[in-house]
Amino acid sequence: MKRFRRFLVSDHAAGWAFILPSVILIVVFGVIPIVWGLILSFQKAGLISPEREWVGLQNYTQIASDPKARQAAVNTIYYTALFVPISILASLFIAHALNRKIAFVRFYRLAVFIPVVTSTIATGIMFLWLFDRNYGLANWLLGRVGLGPFGFFEEPSQAMIALVLMTVWGWLGFDTIIYLAALQGVPQELIEAAAIDGASRWSSFWRVTWPMLGPATLLLVVWSTISALQLFDEVFFVTKGGPLGRTSVVVFYVYRLAFEQGLGGLSLAGYAAAIAYVLFLVILVLTLAQFWLGRRVVHYAS
Amino acid sequence: MTRRLLVILAAVALLAGACTGDDDEGSPTGETPSGPVTLTFWHGYTDAEADSLNALLDQWNAENPDISIEPLFVNNDKALQKLTVALQGGEPPDITYQYGSSLPQLAAAPGLVDLTEWTQQPDVDWEDFVAGAREAATFEDKVLGVPALIDNLAVVYNKELFDAAGLEYPNDQWTWDDFRAAAAALTDPAEKRFGFSYPMDASEDSVWHYDPLLWQNGGSILTEDNSQAAFNSPEGVEALEVLTGMAVEDESVFLDLQNSPYTGLFNSGKIGMLVTGPWDLSSFPDVDYGVEILPGFDGDHQTIAGPDMWTVFDNGGGRAQAALDFIAWLTAADQMKADALATGHLPFRLSVIEDAAFVEEFGATIPGVDVFAENLANVEQARPVLAAYPQVSEAMGLAIVSAMLGEKDAQTALDDAAAEANDALALGG
Repeated sequence: MKRFRRFLVSDHAAGWAFILPSVILIVVFGVIPIVWGLILSFQKAGLISPEREWVGLQNYTQIASDPKARQAAVNTIYYTALFVPISILASLFIAHALNRKIAFVRFYRLAVFIPVVTSTIATGIMFLWLFDRNYGLANWLLGRVGLGPFGFFEEPSQAMIALVLMTVWGWLGFDTIIYLAALQGVPQELIEAAAIDGASRWSSFWRVTWPMLGPATLLLVVWSTISALQLFDEVFFVTKGGPLGRTSVVVFYVYRLAFEQGLGGLSLAGYAAAIAYVLFLVILVLTLAQFWLGRRVVHYAS
Repeated sequence: MTRRLLVILAAVALLAGACTGDDDEGSPTGETPSGPVTLTFWHGYTDAEADSLNALLDQWNAENPDISIEPLFVNNDKALQKLTVALQGGEPPDITYQYGSSLPQLAAAPGLVDLTEWTQQPDVDWEDFVAGAREAATFEDKVLGVPALIDNLAVVYNKELFDAAGLEYPNDQWTWDDFRAAAAALTDPAEKRFGFSYPMDASEDSVWHYDPLLWQNGGSILTEDNSQAAFNSPEGVEALEVLTGMAVEDESVFLDLQNSPYTGLFNSGKIGMLVTGPWDLSSFPDVDYGVEILPGFDGDHQTIAGPDMWTVFDNGGGRAQAALDFIAWLTAADQMKADALATGHLPFRLSVIEDAAFVEEFGATIPGVDVFAENLANVEQARPVLAAYPQVSEAMGLAIVSAMLGEKDAQTALDDAAAEANDALALGG
């Protein structure tokens, strides 16, 4: 009792009180689902039927022989390989363009950031019409210069690229803001010193600015990779995995298994949980590798 | 970009699951409520449909102070997902609207009320429901739902476009060749106008637009014992080739990947003909349209019906009995008539369909709706009601879409889908 009273007046208690709301949220929406998912991944279980059966590693071994899981994995890698470099290079370019004293620069910065705070659904509806094969603005403009028409989301070979374009547009603002902040942290005297030493603007960028952006780049690479591997909303709303499963990415496949097909007699929720856990491990390993690599090549200003 | 939706779904599901543990076994308890009860009631109606339903609910609530109904809107397309979450929480709604195709999945749900005995009660008048609706409500000899809404597919065409092209309107003797020729004649690439539109999202919607062609041509989805795929028969291939011929060779089809722009395009005169149901008619205020039954193979003009269900969950304390009393009232002839006149929903009780005065009044509400009502007589077959059907449907949907995109020929596409469907059937039965 005494100890409890001492705890109540200690700094610990105040600290716990402050973080309690977020701890509860993290436990409820983070820790419990993670543990539950792990348990589920060793069971043959549906979500509607209360029947559960322990099957050991069977759900995990099943993944290797599932062509749809392989297709989803290939699609996810393809998407990530396009999305991460494109979004980082594009945002670096835009951040650089916005990091100067020009008229209305605040307006431009705002304009670049607006897509980030726009709902995915609104973005999706807009791009569906922009990229419509027959009535879209994109095809109309491309037609003016003699290109197309492209099917975009409707064409199996183009749907993923269209999805990359849409998501890059949607997330560019976030990356740009990070780079902009990093660019403004680059000491002006270093740039001036390089200029005095006769460095061109190009080499001053690559020799001075780019290394100073290292921490920001590492953050963005890690962040973009994780979110690219977890792509879901846009696929769910815009392409529904189609056409012909060409945009069926891992998380979307997990959703379909667990919440659309695995509800009743086929009991696929456990299998879906196993795939989700494999994805989790892949992301974990990849992120650790990126940080390990990052420590070796990234320059941190002292 | 995030997995937020997934995490929240999962979290809500299991949070609720962690909190409760009582599972009532799902048969009507026979007990009656000891006092006034309030029942939760999920439906997916909006606009005029919701107004009509709410008017009926107000009437019920005024007349039955002991059983009050509390409606909650739940999008039909996600009703099964939402119910899954509620079931994990041990607190399903007392009554919920569900697609008929979800019944096999729901059969395993704790608390789902088996209605077989209830349908024997005289005041339910079960035999008065049209046969197709009763069959769709039945899974493994148990009645698990009460028909809530029945649709069917027919041709809706733009009269002005037919006049402008100098074509005769569709009639009830049309073959699919006539349909294909008309679609080609109505297509004008310069105007971005198409003769026909097809749902290309590879969902069940892509599949059930194909089923009538398959059946008319003498094919079937599965073998009689539901053990093997049968849609890749020569009849099935020929049926799909009608669609691929239009989509790939004639390019007369608007390939609607999203399965939603087609209503707006038809209403702006960009599409000549649709194969659709009565639910779309109110979306075409700007078009002078006509409705005709489906074209046929060899004079067979059968169509397909998509019945949706009211399902009841037993939350104890006599609530299930109260829910059944309400559902019996809601689906009785008088309420069905009132709702049909207000919304254009097709009546599906024989006593209502055979009421000539009513049918005339009904036909005057929304142009063409009477054709759909009569078209219910052309429903001869139902899709298989079994647990592996979602997989069969997905395989077929992908086959139809890949063939119509010209990725595979009809035979290969259907053979591939049949192999996949057979795997699912072997697994899930």
